[in-house]
Amino acid sequence: MRYALSRKMPTAGQWLAGLCLFVTAWLHGVAVQAADILLTGAEESPGVQSFVQALSELRPTDRVHFQPLASLPAPGKLPSSLRLILLDLPSLDWRMQESQGPTTLVLRISRLQARQRFGAAQPPHLSLLWSDPPLSRQLQLIRRILPQARRVGVLFDQHSEFLLKELLAAAQPLNLHVVPQRWDNTHDNRPLQTVLKNSDVLLGLDDPDLYNPKTAKNLLLSSYSRQLALVGPNVSFVRAGSLASTYSDQSDWLAVLDELLDRPPTAWPRSLYPGRFKVSSNAQVARSLGIEPINEASVAAELAEGERRP
Amino acid sequence: MFSGIPSPRSSLLLALVFSPMLLADDLFVDSEALPQILTATRLKQSPAEVPGSMTVLDSELINASGARDISELLRLVPGMMVGNISGNQAVVNYHGTNATEARRMQVLIDGRSVYRAGLATVDWSDIPVAMEDIERIEVFRGPNTVSYGANALMAVVNIITRNPADSHGTRLKITRGQRGINDFYASQGTGWNGGDLRLSLSGQEDDGFDSDRTGADYRDSRRLNRFSLAVSQTLSDNQSVDWQLNAKDGTNQRPYTYRPVFSGITAAGNNSDVIAKDYAGSVRWNLDINPDHSLYVQGSAQHWDRQQTWRACDAEVSFSPQLTELWQLNPNYTEQLARNITRFTGPGAAPGTPAEMALANQVLDQWRNGASRTLCGDIDQSARESRYDLELQDTLSLSDSLRLVSGLNYRYDRADSETYFNGTLDDTTWRAFGQLEWRASEHWLLQGGAMFENTQLIGSSLTPRFAVNYLINPRHSLRAVYSEAIRSPDMFENNVNWSYQVTNLRPSAYGQTSARYFVKTRGPGDLDQEHMRSRELGYNGFFPEWGLALDVKLFYDEITGMISEPLRNNQYIASNANDSRFRGTETQVDWRVSAADRLRLTYAYVDAEASNPLDQQFTARNSGSAGWLRDWGHGWNSALFYYGDNALNGYRFERVDTRIAKRIPLGKAQLQLAGVLQQRLDSEPTTFVDNNYDERRVMYFSAELEF
Repeated sequence: MRYALSRKMPTAGQWLAGLCLFVTAWLHGVAVQAADILLTGAEESPGVQSFVQALSELRPTDRVHFQPLASLPAPGKLPSSLRLILLDLPSLDWRMQESQGPTTLVLRISRLQARQRFGAAQPPHLSLLWSDPPLSRQLQLIRRILPQARRVGVLFDQHSEFLLKELLAAAQPLNLHVVPQRWDNTHDNRPLQTVLKNSDVLLGLDDPDLYNPKTAKNLLLSSYSRQLALVGPNVSFVRAGSLASTYSDQSDWLAVLDELLDRPPTAWPRSLYPGRFKVSSNAQVARSLGIEPINEASVAAELAEGERRP
Repeated sequence: MFSGIPSPRSSLLLALVFSPMLLADDLFVDSEALPQILTATRLKQSPAEVPGSMTVLDSELINASGARDISELLRLVPGMMVGNISGNQAVVNYHGTNATEARRMQVLIDGRSVYRAGLATVDWSDIPVAMEDIERIEVFRGPNTVSYGANALMAVVNIITRNPADSHGTRLKITRGQRGINDFYASQGTGWNGGDLRLSLSGQEDDGFDSDRTGADYRDSRRLNRFSLAVSQTLSDNQSVDWQLNAKDGTNQRPYTYRPVFSGITAAGNNSDVIAKDYAGSVRWNLDINPDHSLYVQGSAQHWDRQQTWRACDAEVSFSPQLTELWQLNPNYTEQLARNITRFTGPGAAPGTPAEMALANQVLDQWRNGASRTLCGDIDQSARESRYDLELQDTLSLSDSLRLVSGLNYRYDRADSETYFNGTLDDTTWRAFGQLEWRASEHWLLQGGAMFENTQLIGSSLTPRFAVNYLINPRHSLRAVYSEAIRSPDMFENNVNWSYQVTNLRPSAYGQTSARYFVKTRGPGDLDQEHMRSRELGYNGFFPEWGLALDVKLFYDEITGMISEPLRNNQYIASNANDSRFRGTETQVDWRVSAADRLRLTYAYVDAEASNPLDQQFTARNSGSAGWLRDWGHGWNSALFYYGDNALNGYRFERVDTRIAKRIPLGKAQLQLAGVLQQRLDSEPTTFVDNNYDERRVMYFSAELEF
């Protein structure tokens, strides 16, 4: 009976609704074809799961799924229409096996890691989305929270040295003076003492040779004993005792990705710093250094505004 | 450094503390787990939050001053009175009191008190720390027994040495100059995984002042060597141990000051030099239980050895048993008799009690029968003092706005001196202290605490302290402080048993080659603590746009029950009968005018009133300093300082110091050449009439190689 009823001729309203649905779907399909988005990484951690879940909720029309690296064929065997997103360095190494294959978004890679893998050149089929905060943004943060600081001390080693040129260029228009100091052996404190002596603030580069759990105590205690703030290199350090840093979390990256995935892969940038970010600060450290409490949201908004209207 | 395995309990606590902050599921917010390092318990108060007035002498200032002595550096602290008893005996006191005894200030080196156990003085020149090893000096200007223990009566000087981790490499330095200046310093620092070490050797020599009041050569030169070893070792991610060993050995010349009591004695010794040896060792164990709770346990042992033997000559009658007995009956009567004995030889004893007169006549008989002849013998005024100290301090951050610092301290002091104590004397002290810091609101900070102290020889006491800081913003504050403090009389003041056993007598006295000199002085044994009440109003501000830091304070301090009798062996009767009062204002300005220039000014106006005029001597009504440090670029640095006291113990003091230094890179090494010129602007003696220089100017040069 029910079957028979459904076989009845549709009403005009039903026709109209069906047409609308078809037109909407067709229009949407023209703008962005329902895409097949594949995320991959060495393992599917809870963090990965929640990210994949959030991305699929954000893009209900796309087919978003995660497949562990081990189960994937060689990249060249993947359909070129696939939107491939890499979540870690092992997956990048896998992707670098061959140049064929879909254009790829690479997440969670720092400038330093890219430099170590690719040198100054950059593979054409990758779009690198930098995980480390952009230096110009960190300098703007310094300008905003420590307006009196002029001399910005920067420790570097052979791996991070290439960032200096960019840092100097970013510092110049801000009237900041970069005090670079090479620190090849973190067991030798003299370079650290030298840079602290000659700076008003220390900016941490995201260089794990220099900023890691083994060096953190020494770095933070040494700079603090001179009443000097460390800015950066990441949120972990802010929690440990760095004054502040800019960072992008999952929600920021989702927004950035959403925008990128709306574009055809040919329009993806070769590399990108996320335009969406937040500011994290350590209120206790600020207080002890005699700095007003930092309103993270408003500082982030101000910095973002400054980036939109340079 | 964090490779150790934390205990299950601490990791649980860490997890509990971190959990609200950790974005564990966020793929993009750091993968590495860093422990919280600048924790609530490690962070110090900003200058505006300090419950009192503080002066910090940083390494730049210490270096630029060109000072060779810690005491000289303290001229940069407003209200600090710095003088000299002799070339090798500096005297430093905050606001004043007696010029010969500065006993009311606590002096700490990395938390260890260097205040001598028995004689309650600070031998500034003998502190076993080289200037080059000092990172900074924090001076808390005002009483603070709650934080620093009893004897932090008028101020606390906290000398902090360089962290071994910041002393890597080799430093070699020599200094040569006029007035016999001849110093050296050598240090080697190295690090390993989780640990660092600094070993330093140093020496100091100079001639002291040139001439005494008569124009004769003044015997006050010094010569010393020091050894210092500092090690810090990380045991795990929340535990570390720091330990230090220090030793100092040297000779301090002392002029021969013994004046025979009896007339007609011409023979004399020629010096009473001191061999001074200081030894210290300390161990400190730091434990971070969690980011909101940390504690340390520090144990230290110190030994002061002052060997002072000199030859004294006087009449044989000095050793007369009858004279000794007479002294015990009536010191005044005896002193009259002894000093004027030739006047009594004819008429006989002066009027007195029958017993006194009988003894006096016996003494006069002895004098007539040959006891007027000169005897010479050795006097041993040596003292050995030891201190063992154990302290537990706990810092607990109860909430973001509430912090509690509390602790316990045990101290054992022993003094051994034939002359001063007729043997050995010891004392035990127990202390408990607590201070609560409450941030009532964004603007109001309330801090209060108390210390309870019990000493075996003196008894117990409780001292409170309260401070209110109104923070206009995090960099500007107004403060009101009320504090009480006590100073326990030292063993010398209370328990001295002062007499001279003279040995190697030639010729022998009454047939003995060793005999006791007739003067014998005993301390009262029932002295009470000195009490201080201090009130302070202050402003502290930092203007970051100008790089200007400013501190102003008004103070009113009273000391009651003050023990102000001078330490002399004739009729020393100490009492708590005196009092004094200090009021005035102090200012300090530290202004980084530009990246190359730094100006620093201090000024103090102190008005002192004391029941014992001696306690007003060591206060300059107007005193201060002015400094200009400049970095000229290309390795050139200069510093110009002015120091002035309008009258310290009655003498004006004004001096300008200039230091010019050039840094020369030599490959990976660095050579620094520096010259210091000190020019006195007045021509008065320094603090005491015997402290004179031939020239008002002195120059010395140093060369330091660092690699």
